[in-house]
Amino acid sequence: MAPTTTSPTYPSTLVEALDRLPDGDARGFRFLTLDREEKYFPYSAMRTEAQRRAAFLGNLETAPMYGVAGGKLNKGDTVALLLPENHEFVLTFLGASVGGFVPVPIYPGATFKVTGHYIETLAHILVAARAKVVVCNQRNLEVVQLLKELPETKDVVILVAEKDFEADAPAFTRPSVGPDDLCFLQFTSGSTSKPKGVAIRHRNLVANTTAFLGPGGLNAGALHGKPDDLGVSWLPLFHDMGLIGFVLGTLIVDLPVLLFPTTTFARSPRLWLELITKHKGTITYAPNFAYQLLAKRVTEKDLSSLDLSSLRVAGCGAEPIRARTLIEFASKLAPAGFDAKALLPSYGMAESCLAITFHRGGTSMRVDKVDPAAMREGKAVPSDADDALELVGCGIPFPGHELAIVDESGQPVGERVVGQILARGPSVNDGYFENPEATAESFKDGWLYSGDLGYLADGDLFICGRAKDLIIVNGANHYPQDLEWVVGDIEGVRRGNVVAFSIMKDGLEVLVMAAEGNSGDAARLRTEIAQVVQQNFGLTASHVAICAVGALPKTSSGKAQRKKTKAMFESGELQEHA
Amino acid sequence: MNRGELVTIFQRMASEVAEKDFSHVTEDAAIADLGIDSLGMLELVASMERELSVSVPDEQLVGIQTVRQLLDLVERRVVSK
Repeated sequence: MAPTTTSPTYPSTLVEALDRLPDGDARGFRFLTLDREEKYFPYSAMRTEAQRRAAFLGNLETAPMYGVAGGKLNKGDTVALLLPENHEFVLTFLGASVGGFVPVPIYPGATFKVTGHYIETLAHILVAARAKVVVCNQRNLEVVQLLKELPETKDVVILVAEKDFEADAPAFTRPSVGPDDLCFLQFTSGSTSKPKGVAIRHRNLVANTTAFLGPGGLNAGALHGKPDDLGVSWLPLFHDMGLIGFVLGTLIVDLPVLLFPTTTFARSPRLWLELITKHKGTITYAPNFAYQLLAKRVTEKDLSSLDLSSLRVAGCGAEPIRARTLIEFASKLAPAGFDAKALLPSYGMAESCLAITFHRGGTSMRVDKVDPAAMREGKAVPSDADDALELVGCGIPFPGHELAIVDESGQPVGERVVGQILARGPSVNDGYFENPEATAESFKDGWLYSGDLGYLADGDLFICGRAKDLIIVNGANHYPQDLEWVVGDIEGVRRGNVVAFSIMKDGLEVLVMAAEGNSGDAARLRTEIAQVVQQNFGLTASHVAICAVGALPKTSSGKAQRKKTKAMFESGELQEHA
Repeated sequence: MNRGELVTIFQRMASEVAEKDFSHVTEDAAIADLGIDSLGMLELVASMERELSVSVPDEQLVGIQTVRQLLDLVERRVVSK
C-alpha cells in the first residue's frame, strides 16, 4: 500500500474508531497473559466481545449509592475496572464505551498495595467516581470483595470478567456516543483522601491521538499509510501512557499492538527487548527508570540475540528524564541495532490526555547544559563546566496546542527563566469529575496549571521539577501527605511531625522520610518507617532521618514544612539522632 | 536443598538485583532495608524461580517483609513442586 497523501479522516469517538477498524484476522491486539499464554484478538473479535460486554453491563441491576439512583446503568454512568489481566481490561473498557458507560481504570492491586490503605484508597476512588459497578479478575476478587465490608461501598456490584461475561449476551440497544460525551476517568492524581478524576471526553482523546500518532507526531498506524507499525508495551493500563499510548490511541489510527503485563516486565526486564526483537516492534514507550534498568541488565551475551533495528520510536516520559540514562541505553544497545534517533523524550499530563510536547522526530535528542548555581535562582544559564546540570529537551508543543511559562504571580516569564508550565489546546480536558474545587485550582483563564516547573529555550521545553510537593519514583506519583499519614500510625511517631519529600540522587528522584522521635527509639523507628512505606506504597526510602522532638521546621500553626525540611536536609542542617 | 543453600542462593540473587554485596545478609533482614523495592522484589523472585525451577505467584508476595518470610514461601513452593 502506498503512503496516503491526502490527510485521513479520523473517527470522532473511540466507539466510531472501533466500528471502523478493518475485518479479517490480519490486524489486531496480541496479549501475553499473566500466565504467559499468548492471546490474539483480531479487531473484529474485539468488536464482537465489546458488544457482548456492553450488553451485560447494560442489563445489570444496581442499588442506589452515593445519591445516584439504583436500577440499570444509564448512559454516562461509571464502571470501575480493576483488571490486572490486560486482555480483560481492554475488552471490558471497550464494552463499557460501546454501552455508553464511562470506564474508570484503577490500579488493580494484585501484588503489593494490598493492605488496609489500598482498600481505603479504592473506596475513596469509587465514591469520587460514583461507580456502582466494579469489574475485576478472579485473581484479585478476594481483595476487591473487601469493598463489601466498607459502609460507603457495601452495595457495589462486583463482576468477575472471566465468569460473568461467559453466558450468551442479553438483548441491548447501543446508545449513540458523541465527541462531547465522557470517554473515561483517570484517577492517578490527587491524594488518597481526595482523589481527583481527570475527565477525558472523546474529542480530547481524538485530538490528542491525532497530535501524537498523526502526521505532527509519530505518523503511525495504517490510517497514516504505515501498515507495518507495531507497538510493544508493558505499561500499566490504569495510567495514560499505557492506556492512551497503546490501547485507545492505537485503535483510533489502526496501529496493532503487543501488550504484556507490567509485573512480567518487572520479573524479567529483558523480555521487553526480546519481544521487540521477536515481533519486529516499531514503537515503544517507557519511563526513565526502565531504560536505566535495561542499560544495567543487558549483557554482552544478550546483545547477540537482540535486534532492535525495527524500532523507530523509543519514547520516554511520565517522570523526570535523565540525559545520562538515555545516552547509556543508546550506546549499550547500539550493537543490537538500536538507533539513538529513536529516543523520543516527551512531556504531558493526564489532564492533556497523554503528551503535549514531543521531541522533534528523527533528530538526536537535545541536552541543555546549565549552571547549577543559576538554576537554584530559577535561571537556565548555559554552561560548559564539569558541574553543569544536564537537562533533556522534551520537544515542542503539538500543532494547535500552546504552552506558557509563568512566575508565581501568573505573569509570563522570558526565555530560559524557570516558571510553572501552563498548557491549552484541544487535548486539554475541562476539569475533574464532579469536583469544581479541584477544577478551579488547576484551570484558570482557559489554561491548565500543570504544577510542573520548566523553561523554554529555542522553542524546546525543559522540565526542572514541580511546584507541588508530589513525589515521583519509578514513574508512579505519590502524595507526601499519604505517606506521612500512614507513618503517623507508628508507635513513637506523632502525626504532624513526619515529613516525606524527594531529592535527586545521582540524577534520580528518591524518597526521604524525616520524623521526630526520641533518641532511644531512633534505630527502631528507622526500620519501622522504612517497612511501613515499603508495605503500603512499594517504595524504598533512600534515607530515614529521625530528629529530636521540635527539630523539624513548622508553620505558625504547627504544621511540618516539607520544602524547608528538604532544604535543611540537603544543606546538612537537619540534626539527626545517631 | 537445605535452608543454608537457599540462603546462599538468596544472597547471590539479591546481590545481582540490587548491585550490592549481600553475602552476609541474614534471614532477619527486612527486604526494604536492603534497598529492594517492589519492582526489585519481583525481579529477585523471578531469578530465584529460574534457579530453583519453581513458580511463586505475584499474589503470594503480599505482606512479605523479611528475608525469612520470603524464603519460607519459596521453600513451600519447592516442597510442593
